[in-house]
Amino acid sequence: MKTALFSNRALIAFIGVVIVFLLGTVLIPGFSSMFSVRAMLILASLLAIAALGQTLVMILGGIDLSIPFVIGFANVVFASLYGSGMPALPAFLIVIACAAVIGSVSGALSAGLSIHPLIVTLGVGTVVQAAVQLWTRGLPTGSAPPFVNDFVSLGGTIGPLPFPWLIPFTVALTLGCVFVLHRTVYGRRLYALGSNLKAAELALVRPVAMWTTTFALSAVFAALAGILLVGFTGSSSATVGTPYLFQTVSAVVIGGTALIGGRGGFVGTVAGAIVLVELRTLLIGLGLSEALVQSALGLLILLLVAAYGRDQHIRNLI
Amino acid sequence: MSTDPMTFRKPRFWDRSETPLAAILFLVLVVFNAILNPARFSPANWPAVLGLAAPMILATMATTLPFLAGRGSIDVSVGPLMGLINVILVKVMIGDFGFTSPWIIVPAALLLGLASGALNGLLAAILRIQPIVATLATYLIYSGLALSILPAPSGTVPGWLSALAGPASFLPVGAVIVAWLLFRRLPFYELLMAVGSDDRAAFTAGVNVPAVRFFSYVFSGLIAAVAALALTALIGSGDPNIGPGYTLIAIAAAALGGVSLAGGVGGLTAAFIGAADIFLLQNVLTSFNVSTFMLQAAYGTVLVLAVCLNSEKLKARFQTWKASR
Amino acid sequence: MPDDTILLRYDNLVLAPGKTPLSGAIRAGEITGVAGLEGHGQEQFLLALAGFGRYREGKITVVTAERGPLGYRDHYEAARHGVVYLPRDRRATGIFPVLSVLDNFAIPSMPRFSLAGILNRKRLKDELASYTDFLSIRYPSADAPISALSGGNQQKVLLARLLALKPRVMLLNDPTRGVDLNTRLKFYEAFRKLAAENGIALVILSSEIEEILELCDTVSIFRDFECNTVLDRASMSMDRVMAAMFGQEGVPA
Repeated sequence: MKTALFSNRALIAFIGVVIVFLLGTVLIPGFSSMFSVRAMLILASLLAIAALGQTLVMILGGIDLSIPFVIGFANVVFASLYGSGMPALPAFLIVIACAAVIGSVSGALSAGLSIHPLIVTLGVGTVVQAAVQLWTRGLPTGSAPPFVNDFVSLGGTIGPLPFPWLIPFTVALTLGCVFVLHRTVYGRRLYALGSNLKAAELALVRPVAMWTTTFALSAVFAALAGILLVGFTGSSSATVGTPYLFQTVSAVVIGGTALIGGRGGFVGTVAGAIVLVELRTLLIGLGLSEALVQSALGLLILLLVAAYGRDQHIRNLI
Repeated sequence: MSTDPMTFRKPRFWDRSETPLAAILFLVLVVFNAILNPARFSPANWPAVLGLAAPMILATMATTLPFLAGRGSIDVSVGPLMGLINVILVKVMIGDFGFTSPWIIVPAALLLGLASGALNGLLAAILRIQPIVATLATYLIYSGLALSILPAPSGTVPGWLSALAGPASFLPVGAVIVAWLLFRRLPFYELLMAVGSDDRAAFTAGVNVPAVRFFSYVFSGLIAAVAALALTALIGSGDPNIGPGYTLIAIAAAALGGVSLAGGVGGLTAAFIGAADIFLLQNVLTSFNVSTFMLQAAYGTVLVLAVCLNSEKLKARFQTWKASR
Repeated sequence: MPDDTILLRYDNLVLAPGKTPLSGAIRAGEITGVAGLEGHGQEQFLLALAGFGRYREGKITVVTAERGPLGYRDHYEAARHGVVYLPRDRRATGIFPVLSVLDNFAIPSMPRFSLAGILNRKRLKDELASYTDFLSIRYPSADAPISALSGGNQQKVLLARLLALKPRVMLLNDPTRGVDLNTRLKFYEAFRKLAAENGIALVILSSEIEEILELCDTVSIFRDFECNTVLDRASMSMDRVMAAMFGQEGVPA
C-alpha cells in the first residue's frame, strides 16, 4: 500500500504534466514547439535541482527556507570567484563546501536544540544573504565559464540531440536520488526518522547526524542550482533565488511529499516542477498577468493538496 | 497577571524563562535608543514611533494566534492579506467608490480579515490541508490579487486614517491589546492553550479541536485586518508590494518573543515584546548609519542566537553540565 | 539454564535522589524479571541498563570477550556491545507506521547488511525470513506496510529487529503488552529458547505477575525507587511478589 500510495501521488503529478501539456498544445499556438518544450524542461530542471534538498528535508518532516538565500550566495560567489580569475573547478568546490557548512549549521541547530527549522533556516539564510551583500557591497560582478553557459543554454545541443546537458543530468540525478532513497541505509533511515522520530532514535538512528547531513545536502543542491543559474541568466544577483522559496515548497507538495514526514520522493517533485513551469507558461500564454498566474498557482496547490495531501483527523491520532 | 486556576499542566509563558530574555533585550534596546536618539524617542514623539512600529507588532500578533493552537498550525498569509486589504481599501473603497467614513472603512477591513481567517481556518483546520501549505496557497492568491488590483503604488487616504499612524496611533494596537485581555478571560483561551499543549488529551477530554483551531485562524485574520489599517495609515497610500514582507519578519518576531511554534506556549504579550525587539533593534542599527545589509545580518544573527538561547533542550543540557561539576 | 558468565554489571545505581544504591549482575542465559507497582522505578532501572543515562550515580559495565569490562554512554554504544532495548509503547516509540515490514525490521541493523551504505536487500530479506519461522510472524510480504499487521505480529517484527542486532542482553519493557494469548505463549517459548540455546540474558519488565512467575529465573521487585527484594525461582510466588510490591516484605537483596 505504501509503495502504491507513493507512486500514485507521483503518478497523479505526472498525469497533471500530461493534461497541462495537452491543454497548452490545444490552447496556445507554439506551446508544444521544440523551443518552448526545451525552455520549459530547462526551467523545470533548474527548479527540480533546487527542490531536491527541499524534498529530502520534507521527508524528514522539516522545511528549508534558506534555499533561496543559498542559491543567491552560490550565484554571486561563484561568479565573483570565476570572474576574478580563479579556475572554475576550485571556485565550484569552494562554493559547494561553504554551502554544505551553511546547511549543516541549520540542521545541527534545529535537531540539536529542538528549534523549528523554519526559524533556524530563516535566520541562517538572512545572515548568509547579508554576508554576500556586504562582501559584494550590493554590486555583484563576474560571469560563468562558457561550459556552464552551454550546460544550461536554451539553444544547447548534445551532438544531434536538441537539448543541453542539463536535461540528461537532471534525469541522472533523479535516478540517483531514487536509488539513494530506496536502496541505501541513509535513504531508509531518512523515511524512518520522518515517520516516527522517537522510534527512530530508539532504533539506533542518530537524529542530529541525519538532520545535519540532510540540510547540508539541501544547501549543496541549492548551491548547484545557484551556479547553474549564473550560466542561465548570464550575470549574478544575490536575489536570483527569491522565487525559489515558495516554488520549491510547491513543487515538493504537488509531487506528493507530505510535510508530516516519512512519505514522498523525488520523482514526484520532478513532476511537480514540470507542472509548475507548464502552468506558468500556459497561463501567461493565455494572457494572464504575472500576478494572476501566482494566484492561479495558489489555487492549484489548494486543489491538489485537498485531493491527496490531507492530514488525519485528530480522532485517528489517539 | 491573573492567577486563576489552570486546568492544564503546561506552565504559562511568564513562568518560563524565554519571554524574560526578550523582555531584557527590550529594556536594553529602549535605553540604547533613548541615548542614541533622544529627540526621536522623546515622549512627544511616542505616538509617531508607535505608529511606525504598529504594522509589525500587529502582524506578529496575528501570526502568533495560530501558533498557539499547535500541531503545525501556522498562518503565513498574514503579510499578503495586509497588502490585499490595504490595496482594496485604497483602490476600491476609497478610490473607486469614494467612501471615506471610518464607519464604512473599518468594518470593511475587519470583514475582509474575518473572511480570510475563515477561509484559512476552513482549509487548515476543517479540510485538514497542512497549514503551511494551505496558507502558502492563500499567500500566493492574496499577493497575486493585490498586484492585479493595484499594479503600482498609488492613492491617498482620508485624514482620520493617517491620524492612526500619528496622534491616534495607540488606537489599533490598543484595541487589539484590550481585546486580548478580554479574550484571556474567556473559556476559549483555556481551550486554545489546551489544544496547543496536547491536542490528543484535549480531544479526549471532549474539546472540539478542529473548531478551536478554526477560530484561531479567524482571530488571526481579524488582527491582520487591524494590522492592515495600521499599515495603510502609515504609508498613506496603496502599495501591493509591501505586505508580503511582513510574513517572515512576523514569524521571526514571534519566535524571538518566546512563542513556541509547536503550540501551547506564548501569547500576544510575547508577540508584542518580540516585535518591539526587532523594531528597536532596527532603530539602533539605523542610528549607527550602517547599511541595510549590516542591518539584515544583525537581525538574522539576533534571531538565531535568541531562539538558540530560548531552547529548552539547551537549558536542560546546561543544567546537567552544571550538575556534573 | 543460567550459567555463571556475567554479561552486565551495575554498581551503585541510584534511581532517585537519596535512595539506596543498587548493585548486581546479569548473567548469560538468565531470565530476570523486573516488577513493581507502576512508577516505582523499575522502568528507570531498565532504561538505565539500556544506556539512556537517566540514572544519577553509579556505573554500568558490559563484559566483553575481547576487551573486558566496558562502560557505555548512550544506547547506541550499548547496542554496539550487544545490550538492546525493546520500548514499551509499540505505536508511539516502536513501529514506523508508513514503512514496510522489512524496513521496520531492519532500520537498526542496516549497517550490517550494507556495503558503503548501499543495502543488500536479498540478505536483509533472508535475515527476516530466518526469524519469520522462529517467531512465526505472519505478514503478506516483506514490502507490505507494517500497519497491515496485527498488534501481535507487529510486536514480533520488533523482537526480530532486536535479534538482528545479535544481542547478548535483551532489555524488554513489557513485551507482551496488548497481544493475544496465543502470541503471548509463542513469545514465552521464544524467550526460553533464546536464553537456553543462545545464552542471551533477558531482563523482562512486566506488569503481569503471572508472566514473571511463568518465565523468570529471578525477579527483582521495585518499591519507591529501591529494590529490596530479589526472589529466585524456588521462593517465587504470587503472594510474595505482591507483598514486596506493596512493601510488606523485606527480604534483603
